[in-house]
Amino acid sequence: MHRFRPLTSRRVRGLGLLTAAGLLLSGCGNISLDGDTPQTTLEPKGPVAEKIDGLWDLTFWMAVVVFILVEFGVLFVAWKFRKRKDDTGEELPEQLHGNTKLEIGWTALPAVILAFLAVFTVSTVLDIAEEPEDSTRIRVVGQQWWWSYDYDLDGDGVYADDDVVQTGIENPEEYETDIEVANEMVIPAGEPVYLEIESRDVIHSFWIPALNGKKDAVPGRTHFLSIEADEPGTFIGQCTEFCGLSHAYMRMVVHALPRDEYDAWIDGQLEDAAEPESPEAAAGQEVFSQRCASCHLVDGLNTEEYNGATVVAGAAPNLTHVASRGSFAGSIFPLWRDTDGNDVVDWDEIGGELNRNQLEAWLRNPPEEKPMAADDNRGMPNLGLSEADIDSLVAYLTSLD
Amino acid sequence: MTDTAPAHTAPTAGPGPDQLDGVDLESWGLGTNNATGLTNTKLGMWLFLGSDCLLFGALISTYLLLRHRGTGIGPEDVFDIPFTSVSSFVLLMSSMSMVFAVSAIARGEDQKLRLWLLVTALLGGTFIAGQVYEFTSFYREGLGYTTNLFSSAFYSLTGFHGVHVSVGIVMLMALFFMSLTGRLKQDRAEAVEVVGLYWHFVDIVWVLIFTIVYLIP
Amino acid sequence: MAIVEQPSTSVEARELEAGPRHASPDEALGVFKRPQGDTGWRSWLFTVDHKKIGIMYGAAALFFFLIGGVEALIIRTQLAAPEQELISADLYNQLFTMHGVTMIFLVVMPIGSAFMNYLIPLQIGARDVAFPRLNAFSFWCFLFGGIFFNSSWFLGGGTADGGWFAYAPNTSVVFSPSHGMDFYAIGLQITGIATLVGAVNLIATCLNLRAPGMTLMKMPVFTWMSLVTQFLLLFAMPVISVALFLLTFDRLFGANFFNVSAGADPLLWEHLFWIFGHPEVYIMILPAFGIVSETLPVFARKPIFGYEFIVFSGAAIGFMGWGVWAHHMFASGMGPISVAAFAVSTMFIAVPTGVKILNWMATMWGGKLSFTTPMLFSIGLVTMFTIGGLSGVSHAVAPADTQQTDTYYIVAHFHYVLFGGALFAFVGGFYYWWPKAFGLMLRENLGKAHFWVMLLGFNLTFGPMHVLGLQGMPRRTHSYFDGYGFNVWNMVATIGAYLIALSFLIFFWNIFVSWRDSKKVGWVPPGPDPWDARTIEWMTASPAPSHNFDHVPVVTHRDEFWYRKYGETDDHRIVRIAAAEEVAQTGARTDVHLPAPSYWPIVLCASFPLIGWGLIFNLGIAFVGGAIALLALFGLAMEPADDPDAGHGDHHDDHHGPDAGPEAAAADADADKEATLVD
Repeated sequence: MHRFRPLTSRRVRGLGLLTAAGLLLSGCGNISLDGDTPQTTLEPKGPVAEKIDGLWDLTFWMAVVVFILVEFGVLFVAWKFRKRKDDTGEELPEQLHGNTKLEIGWTALPAVILAFLAVFTVSTVLDIAEEPEDSTRIRVVGQQWWWSYDYDLDGDGVYADDDVVQTGIENPEEYETDIEVANEMVIPAGEPVYLEIESRDVIHSFWIPALNGKKDAVPGRTHFLSIEADEPGTFIGQCTEFCGLSHAYMRMVVHALPRDEYDAWIDGQLEDAAEPESPEAAAGQEVFSQRCASCHLVDGLNTEEYNGATVVAGAAPNLTHVASRGSFAGSIFPLWRDTDGNDVVDWDEIGGELNRNQLEAWLRNPPEEKPMAADDNRGMPNLGLSEADIDSLVAYLTSLD
Repeated sequence: MTDTAPAHTAPTAGPGPDQLDGVDLESWGLGTNNATGLTNTKLGMWLFLGSDCLLFGALISTYLLLRHRGTGIGPEDVFDIPFTSVSSFVLLMSSMSMVFAVSAIARGEDQKLRLWLLVTALLGGTFIAGQVYEFTSFYREGLGYTTNLFSSAFYSLTGFHGVHVSVGIVMLMALFFMSLTGRLKQDRAEAVEVVGLYWHFVDIVWVLIFTIVYLIP
Repeated sequence: MAIVEQPSTSVEARELEAGPRHASPDEALGVFKRPQGDTGWRSWLFTVDHKKIGIMYGAAALFFFLIGGVEALIIRTQLAAPEQELISADLYNQLFTMHGVTMIFLVVMPIGSAFMNYLIPLQIGARDVAFPRLNAFSFWCFLFGGIFFNSSWFLGGGTADGGWFAYAPNTSVVFSPSHGMDFYAIGLQITGIATLVGAVNLIATCLNLRAPGMTLMKMPVFTWMSLVTQFLLLFAMPVISVALFLLTFDRLFGANFFNVSAGADPLLWEHLFWIFGHPEVYIMILPAFGIVSETLPVFARKPIFGYEFIVFSGAAIGFMGWGVWAHHMFASGMGPISVAAFAVSTMFIAVPTGVKILNWMATMWGGKLSFTTPMLFSIGLVTMFTIGGLSGVSHAVAPADTQQTDTYYIVAHFHYVLFGGALFAFVGGFYYWWPKAFGLMLRENLGKAHFWVMLLGFNLTFGPMHVLGLQGMPRRTHSYFDGYGFNVWNMVATIGAYLIALSFLIFFWNIFVSWRDSKKVGWVPPGPDPWDARTIEWMTASPAPSHNFDHVPVVTHRDEFWYRKYGETDDHRIVRIAAAEEVAQTGARTDVHLPAPSYWPIVLCASFPLIGWGLIFNLGIAFVGGAIALLALFGLAMEPADDPDAGHGDHHDDHHGPDAGPEAAAADADADKEATLVD
């Protein structure tokens, strides 16, 4: 299986618990022994994650102090009061039953330390729960095993794919003013983004460690999470609430763009899908209409007759601008070849050389590439496409930029 | 206070057989000289009932959370408060007859004991019959077990209570037949008392359920 | 319940009478005679002796430990390197679910039960538990529940695959179409019944059957922690019972409790599960705390430091454990006020735990420590649990927890608590009480090898998981990609897991060779008190005779046994005043009336899997099971209180008192030893 390795690799500062010799603590340092750690929680890239990280640092160093005191205390006591070789065992040590003052002291001391920690914890909890002002709102919807992102651009409170699960599209006109994308979220850098997190089937959890902690996507509920990226960049994360078969393969990517690029991206996404220009792509469009359009929506192609996907979640990735994304199939496969040698699809690498083998393998037999319960209508089934169909489909899909 | 001094003195018991004036050590812990003063059986029943409180607590919480969340037929569409009030009254009366049964065996009045055991069981049976009738009529009105959230929660909660009452009736009838065959005499009055504890508990739970499920909208 | 226990009441009534009394024929009712004999396999299947039941709990739990351990090794092998496809995602999901459920419900809890069953009556000077037959019922119910649950490997078309936490709606038929989750729901329901009955039984035992003079504040710490544990179980089990009922009704009868499209809220399951699940954490760790509080004083040759603080902090954990459950749900979408409240309550539950750690250090302070195997494991708990406790505090910091939760950091945390805590203490407890239970010592050299290999393997396995979690590796994932910095630490963890397996091979080898040693000519039995212990379970023969004590001891002190061995001279020196053999009872008495064995607990419990399979596959089987259950209940209610022809051991029912002849005593001691060594 090809791997997806986005461009957030930096040197990692981390916690070190050297365990080989027992319990020695090495403190902070690069403790990844095999390269970059793009999904680390210890390198925050946004204000919320930085607040959490500050709290973690405080907790960590307090724990280190207690750890050293207790562990070395125990070892010291064990060494100091070991029974000597020449001890006949007849003489008993002093039979000390307790010391109330001492014990009250060491009941109160941890309570005080923890109260100190509790103050910072509570204030941070309340602080990061607040909705930021002037934020971009994006609805995040989890389903087995990929994420979709809805942008209510016209601000009318209605999302393009509302009710798509049960009834098909009720508001096709919303697709003129709002956008719906799959797998990769795009946000403006340096601006607060407020997420409404939902689920269409089981509980998932949305998590971009560099931008904020995780928040569960619970069916029937809407949860809120604010994220913000300090700088433009690509950030990755992964579903963290066990959600069935392909839980390991439900990933997420966030591209943070400068405001002008973000606006340009929005404009591009608002457009209907491109009409095929080559005969190969036109053939692909034909195949798509017959074999794919009952589940996958392409604006301008099947908006009117689309009735939702025939899977349990009721939705399949919107492919209107699939070629403008860096990854596919729950963001586990890179759609484009990496150009700068680090096997990562960065924003500026999208649209380069196609990762054709992987895309063809996926179209040939999706359950082979990713564990899915297609027989139970969860995940993409094997459509039994011919090689010719696959070639033309690839041509069509890559034209949807 | 720093009690570093050894907090013990020269041993008082010392090696050798244990003795304690005025206490029958052979039967220690087996009879009335238990540490709590309650017999094991009675203590065990109290503990079980404590646990059962949590069972009904969880069921009632579930019902309260779910009853208005679903769609379709709701509580106000099906409940027949007067009817259920009568059957609740019947169940409450059974607590009273249970008290009579307990006091009958305490005085060694076997005839009365059997009478009141039977009356209690019959009243309990009447309540169960009422519940069966109620469930049947709800079902006819379209409220099946799987109809909606309210129905699943309602039938489960009241069903669990009904099972408790039924188990109680089985225990009462067992006591009745034991008395009939002469195996339940005054020296085992506690058996009736313990079943009585259970019976009163089940009644009290019904008072709660009736109030929360039926009376509070 | 009351009906079922009537005969026990009359056992007691009978015991109260001055002399032996033969049951009249109409009481015996012919076919319902009770089984007899102290030896052979029947003496195990039908026993109501708390010691045999305790040993069976331990043996069954170790059996399930092997199953859960193999599951863990397969998991670790799959994760040794990135993108491996040794097992499928589906099988992986089943394995981690089964591993979790097995280790929690079929290993750690029953090992706790093993110690509690064996030790509580001995530590409080009682003949048996309050309800001996119910005790047998509890054990068989647990065992058949565990077998039923594991039968899903062969019958369910796949085992449970929703995680031990089984969050709805992922466990509904739509998302988990195999029968695995049915086996989970019904299997845990069965073991839950066992646990609940056991809780009633052991609480009544602790409260009612203490020897004269043993006030609550003179109870050994292990018994105290067990009592707190049983109270937690008493109130926690019904909550998970309700949750499991709802799940069962949803899956089997089409109820709507977790049906989101009907309007249900999946958080209902989360709350019900964790209201049970967090007390469950303390249920697993408190008996371990009790064990350590017994062994540290013995091997430091000092009393426990601050008995009252140890006891009250245990009780405080028991109370506070009810107010922290939602810290498992900081990312679940609760409001910020709830999150803040549960964060604060969770922080403060660390206080009583910290008190215990410091009291254990103070117990060792100034002592004369001998580093026997039980002592090493106890110190192992103190050091390893501290790490788990500290990472636990970092979860209480709710915002940090939103980064940590559902990553390997959590996996590291709870293994440091449950393995580094509970299991270290349990293994130490095995070494410590082995001579009491079986009349033979486990080899010290192998025991120490076991300890060091286990300590190393444990830290290699779970230490790196802290790092993996902080680097963003989510748990419950069957695979991970290359390039995330996960590779090396995962390989280290896998190597560590095999070291843990090796350490337990040493343990089982130790059990075997130590038993073989005891069969050799010239082997010297360890005597009643090989460790110079403090509490009264050591004041009777090893192995403990079936009647426990020849005479119910009258208790005047905490650490009663120690005070009978040691005294203070006029110049305030502590000196030995009696040898253990002089103080300890010989266990030779043969005329103590004990509850007779019973056929019915095992028969009743054997019907439960039938009912379970019936509910899942074919109601006909369930009716057969129900019929057997009814028969067994009838048998329980109707069997005579005691078998008139059977006493305990091969003696007659006549009362020959404590001054029985030495020959009779020796013969009886032999019979007891034989009975107890059969395993």
